Amino acid sequence: MTFNMNKQDKILVITILIASLLLYGTMEWFVRSTTSDQTVAVVSYKDKEILRIDMKIDDTYIVQGTLGEVFIEVENGRVRVEKETSPYHLCSIQGWVQYANVPIVCLPNHIVVMIQNSAEDPNGEDSVIQ
Amino acid sequence: MKRHSPTRRLTLITMLLAMSILMHMIEPSLPIPIPGVKLGLANILGLITMFLFGIKSMILLNLMRVIIASLLRGIIFGTGFWLSMGGVILSTFITIILYKKSKLSPVGLSVASSAFHGLGQILVLMFINDTVMMIYWLPLLWFSSVPTGMVTGTLSAQVLKRLKV
Repeated sequence: MTFNMNKQDKILVITILIASLLLYGTMEWFVRSTTSDQTVAVVSYKDKEILRIDMKIDDTYIVQGTLGEVFIEVENGRVRVEKETSPYHLCSIQGWVQYANVPIVCLPNHIVVMIQNSAEDPNGEDSVIQ
Repeated sequence: MKRHSPTRRLTLITMLLAMSILMHMIEPSLPIPIPGVKLGLANILGLITMFLFGIKSMILLNLMRVIIASLLRGIIFGTGFWLSMGGVILSTFITIILYKKSKLSPVGLSVASSAFHGLGQILVLMFINDTVMMIYWLPLLWFSSVPTGMVTGTLSAQVLKRLKV
């Protein structure tokens, strides 16, 4: 198979590669620098928070997704979807996540797991406003 | 682009549509080790249609492909349908603009199309899950769009070279 590419093609390919690497670097820097010591894993089902997991305790949690039960495991400050019922098991293939704001998405189950800093308590701001 | 009789044109586009639906349906069962990444085989048919029958036919083919394939799979208006739709609308749009305004070969067009398909899907995901952080997956999709786009673009170019309609 030959890749017949002209000059514009090469510029485009290089631009996309550089853009993806730059964006990757930025995202990694962002999630690492925004992760604090106090984190919780927030599990949402169809946009609604259904579970808040303390990342300090190693345990396995079971939530109900659209297609069945989703097993969420916490170990050494990392979280993953251990197993779930879905056609391609993309969210369990994704594996462990240890930084804040990296979404684990189980699309067919409508489950999203994301680590957040516990300081970012949505009710926490009220005291400041009052 | 050659002049065909309307019947011949309709038949050819319909056959291309059938093939693109087939590609769309069998693609998820191909084993690709990276989650969320796929080859984009259906785009081969989209590009071929654009070069043979023009822009309007490609828009029609791509939209019909997503709608009919989702109907056949029974996921129409579900999350997967909107993901495909977001991806296909943005990728078709960018392919048309670059086809008109640049000198990109089918390989380059396919890479751009693939990259913007990923962007469209991420935008839909951001909307569905209500979080901007879905953009975390964009670098992976963009990076992989280069090899996958080159493969599908080369396939389209090779087919176009051999196909006499």
